[in-house]
Amino acid sequence: MTEWPMTEWHDAAATDALDDDEVMALNIAGVPVALFRQEGGFFALHDLCSHGAARLSDGFVENGCVECPLHQGLIDIRSGAPCSAPITEPVRSYPVRVVGDRVEISLDR
Amino acid sequence: MTAMPERETTYVVVGGGQAAAWIARTLRAEGFAGRLVLIGEERHWPYERPALSKDFLQGTGSVEAITLLTPALAEEARIECWLGQRVVSVDREARIVTTADGRTVSYDTLFLATGGRARRLPGQDSLPADRVHTLRTLAESERLRGALAGAKRLLVLGGGWIGLEVAATARALGVGATVVEVAPRLCARTMPPVVSDWLHALHESHGVRVVSGVGVSGVAAMSDGVAVTLADGERLEADHLLLGIGIEPEVGLAAAMGLALDDGIVVDAQGRTSDPRVFAAGDVARHPNAFAGTSLRLESWANAQNQAIVAARAALGGAGVYADIPWFWSDQYGVNVQMLGLPGMGTRAVARGTPEAGSGCWLMLDESGIVTGAVAVNAARDLRVLRKLLEDGRAPLPDAWADTATPVQRLPSRPNIIMR
Repeated sequence: MTEWPMTEWHDAAATDALDDDEVMALNIAGVPVALFRQEGGFFALHDLCSHGAARLSDGFVENGCVECPLHQGLIDIRSGAPCSAPITEPVRSYPVRVVGDRVEISLDR
Repeated sequence: MTAMPERETTYVVVGGGQAAAWIARTLRAEGFAGRLVLIGEERHWPYERPALSKDFLQGTGSVEAITLLTPALAEEARIECWLGQRVVSVDREARIVTTADGRTVSYDTLFLATGGRARRLPGQDSLPADRVHTLRTLAESERLRGALAGAKRLLVLGGGWIGLEVAATARALGVGATVVEVAPRLCARTMPPVVSDWLHALHESHGVRVVSGVGVSGVAAMSDGVAVTLADGERLEADHLLLGIGIEPEVGLAAAMGLALDDGIVVDAQGRTSDPRVFAAGDVARHPNAFAGTSLRLESWANAQNQAIVAARAALGGAGVYADIPWFWSDQYGVNVQMLGLPGMGTRAVARGTPEAGSGCWLMLDESGIVTGAVAVNAARDLRVLRKLLEDGRAPLPDAWADTATPVQRLPSRPNIIMR
């Protein structure tokens, strides 16, 4: 029998803690995470720009992207993909689920 | 009879800095399939400069972290990089670029991203070269880093951003620093008095002596350093001298080519020079700036990147124009300072938060109440929201700006008439 690794979910925030296009800085088990709400859905990115090491949770959210506050590069909130110069490397995204009125994040992936 | 092979369409980029790298990268990213040659005078692969006065100078940064165009990336993108090569002439009729060692390349479109060179002091050559520094290149930063490692005292001539950043880094390395600025206050060319005063206090609180409003009447060599005599007679001695007195745009080649110049190469909103086959971008280019209502030559990281991208796209037929509101930042003592627009043109400052205490943003207005710009201290997001407003031709109501109980994106706003 194959034993699949269990996904560990971390309680992150209440679902009503964020409005659409808002972002919240979290520290989950020592990992900086930026939690975004977009069109009612939640998305989590590693809270560090892959270019200049600034906090994405300090960034400006617009049109599904977050703009790094240091160098103004754009990152896709849903995937972590780079959308504009100077960012060329993706930012790690984390799985998110909603259980009841709580948002949970997994750091496993 | 054998037909002459048709020459591949060739784009040539003169320059090896940030703007040059972004021109080359953008051309490929936007689908240019011809020959692409980048000719840089430095031997280093194109890199970004902001870290040269900060973490790289302090020894906590690496060359890899600032390199914009690596050998692998250049190979993958088929960008021929001629490094350590100086361009000595461009024949605009024949469209041929010639380097100092006699190499030539014919171009269809040429890009000039020649940047600037650090201003020197009259009589500088009579001073010991190992004691006098400028900071423009990676090699100069490495040299200054080595000098600071064995120094007790650094004297900085010039109270602009480079001088202040180097003074801050020197302090982080345990080196004493004195900054001498001939103007009555720091960063006087671009900043309002409220910001100059705050910078002055910030540096003094970290042990820097700031002398402003006094010129230099003489500089002399000592056996183990340099001595500077100020106009008021005071003599300052130091192990090393940093000249942070600005840059001159590197327009020698453009002048020889007969391009239109005005403290830089004159370009349109797409980076096109007076010769439609020649584009220019970065520190060397003077562009029409809609926000300022006049032409500007900007020496900033954002300008070098974004103007270069627009110029590369325009050369491929793109219709986009460079219309960014001026923006740049500085990091000193762990404090992030971001500047937007033309804050120095403002005469009235309205603070949101307490920037002078380390967190907040000054909104700057001119005498008619128009917002000319802003300076944020550890408040990048506020500045970003403000930028969006200004881009839309609006500005927050000044009284509302001071109300930190209301999120910045919900502040009431009004039209902000374009300046002049």
